Amino acid sequence: MAIDWPTRAAEVLNDEPLVIKNDKFWYHIHSYGGWGKFFQGLRAKKLLATRCTNPKCAEKRLWLPPRAECPDCWHDMEWVEAPQVGTIYTHSTVTYPGELFRLAPGTPLISVEIEGVCTKLMSWLKDGKPAFGMKVKAVFNTAKPTNTILDLAWVPA
Amino acid sequence: MIRFGPGNLRIPKFAKPVYVVAGGLTDYRKKYPEKNTCQLCTEGLRMAVEENDLKVDPEQFRRMVNWAVYSQFADHFGDQLLAAAKIHDYLGFDPLGNVEIKTGGATGGSAVLAAAQAIASGYANCVPVVGWERMDEVTTKVGNSYIAAAACKDFESELGWMYAAYYALMAQRYQYENSVPHETLAKIAVKNRLHAYYSPFAQNPGKYTVEDVLKNEIVSDPLTFLECCVMSVGAAVLILADEETAHKLTDKPVRLAAICGGSHTLRTADRRNMPILLLPNETEATYKEYFQGRRHEWPGFSSFLAARMAAYLAYNMAGIKDPVEDFDVLETHDAFTISDVQTYEDIGLRPYGRGHEFIDSGDAYFDGRLPTNLSGGLIGTMHAVGATGVFQLVELLWQLQGKYDKFHGDPKMWTRYGKKKPADWKSLQVKNPKRGCAISHAGTGSHVTCAIMEKP
Ligand SMILES: [Zn+2]
Repeated sequence: MAIDWPTRAAEVLNDEPLVIKNDKFWYHIHSYGGWGKFFQGLRAKKLLATRCTNPKCAEKRLWLPPRAECPDCWHDMEWVEAPQVGTIYTHSTVTYPGELFRLAPGTPLISVEIEGVCTKLMSWLKDGKPAFGMKVKAVFNTAKPTNTILDLAWVPA
Repeated sequence: MIRFGPGNLRIPKFAKPVYVVAGGLTDYRKKYPEKNTCQLCTEGLRMAVEENDLKVDPEQFRRMVNWAVYSQFADHFGDQLLAAAKIHDYLGFDPLGNVEIKTGGATGGSAVLAAAQAIASGYANCVPVVGWERMDEVTTKVGNSYIAAAACKDFESELGWMYAAYYALMAQRYQYENSVPHETLAKIAVKNRLHAYYSPFAQNPGKYTVEDVLKNEIVSDPLTFLECCVMSVGAAVLILADEETAHKLTDKPVRLAAICGGSHTLRTADRRNMPILLLPNETEATYKEYFQGRRHEWPGFSSFLAARMAAYLAYNMAGIKDPVEDFDVLETHDAFTISDVQTYEDIGLRPYGRGHEFIDSGDAYFDGRLPTNLSGGLIGTMHAVGATGVFQLVELLWQLQGKYDKFHGDPKMWTRYGKKKPADWKSLQVKNPKRGCAISHAGTGSHVTCAIMEKP
């Protein structure tokens, strides 16, 4: 029994020199592991951060993005609700985003400073014009969550 | 880590001196359908072995090699895992051992560091470093997504899928704190594209004005297209050896006095404040006024701790007291104009907050105190990522060997790449340079290496 030639042909984009198109169709299965609670929290309008539970650890502030283990002492961390208000530390409006970007071009990206948090979370401004030091409050995509960081956004407070 | 223990700041040492003997490049293009990756790497190696006045023929050289280091940023760009094995075979080096190094944009610097470690330890005495990137398999928009996959995919990549946006966030903060005129930033793009104009290898040469840059379309504010590097295809090869082998290979070996690495968080978000790590040309007094100004934190979003760490180690390893005085030529990782200014401060060309003075004073120019990116850099010549850090050191080597004109000025070099040497071509050979430095940089500052080469 003879074996058939492949049925799906590669498109020839150029013949001299020869250039063909290799198609790719598949998805990745992404595990959030110990950080999943953060994304589940967004569905419930909660901004969940973590804090080191080691009494000897010098870092008492919250981590947001959360970490399940403390980078300073490798101790387990506990989940704590972070304040849902902050200030804009920096901002930039991206005119030409990359292929996978799910928001509209022209979305202002922001980094948010939150009291008691040792990090400056990167996020986006859903409404208004960004400015340094501007007070903002968190809003959540609960209707049709993407279960990504995009489910959190900020609006002027 | 925000508090250093005694072991953390140990100054690296080479057990044996490390030398650089030869370098080879391809030209750099947006698309390169005429040659596949194996061929580009062969072209780089051939130039290194056949056109660097080596005292051995290619066959003799092949018999001297005992280890190889490969440098490629992203398997998903090349769409070929274990590409190093394919290239190693194509170059005829089997069954010698080899490794492939990956640290994002700093891959080239890290690959040379790995090769230097092999030589310095005595494990090997003749090591080619072969770097390349093939970024023309996908559209620019997909390419930007691929690069943004080198941001944190859980918390940051989704926000733009665009590295320029992550740099723009730092740029905006830097500008908020330091108010550097956009004209100064534009000058960096103008300078490096002009340097590229004199290079047959360059992808983005041009005689632009500051106004051209300022009027150019914005990618992510405040960065314009002309202020950003682009995606390239091409390769670069550097050959390292121990002292004895170096002298067998060339009459003009250059010593790799230091090459050191630093790191910082992949997410800019996670950069906590700490005391400034001081370089040999700084004291506590340098920053006495610093925290009373608008700038109230370090490294914040405006400084690259990884670059500072790499420079701290390399300067101390090579005995550098003042980089502007001690270096005669410098190659920075000018992926974006703003990150270049940040880097000037991190590597001590000016104190923090005053990086722009390195440009405004004229220091960074060909006739200045420390000519910077005479190669055309990433903005003007190339950013075939895995090749970039290697390319910088090849250009630096040629400067130190006095071979700039040989590789950039020969009309045949231009016709080789289907180009014509400009009638107003100018030599960018620095007069009798003794020592040079190159900074290789990844992510938003996740990995940085600082290499120092000097004439023995
Ligand atoms: Zn801890």
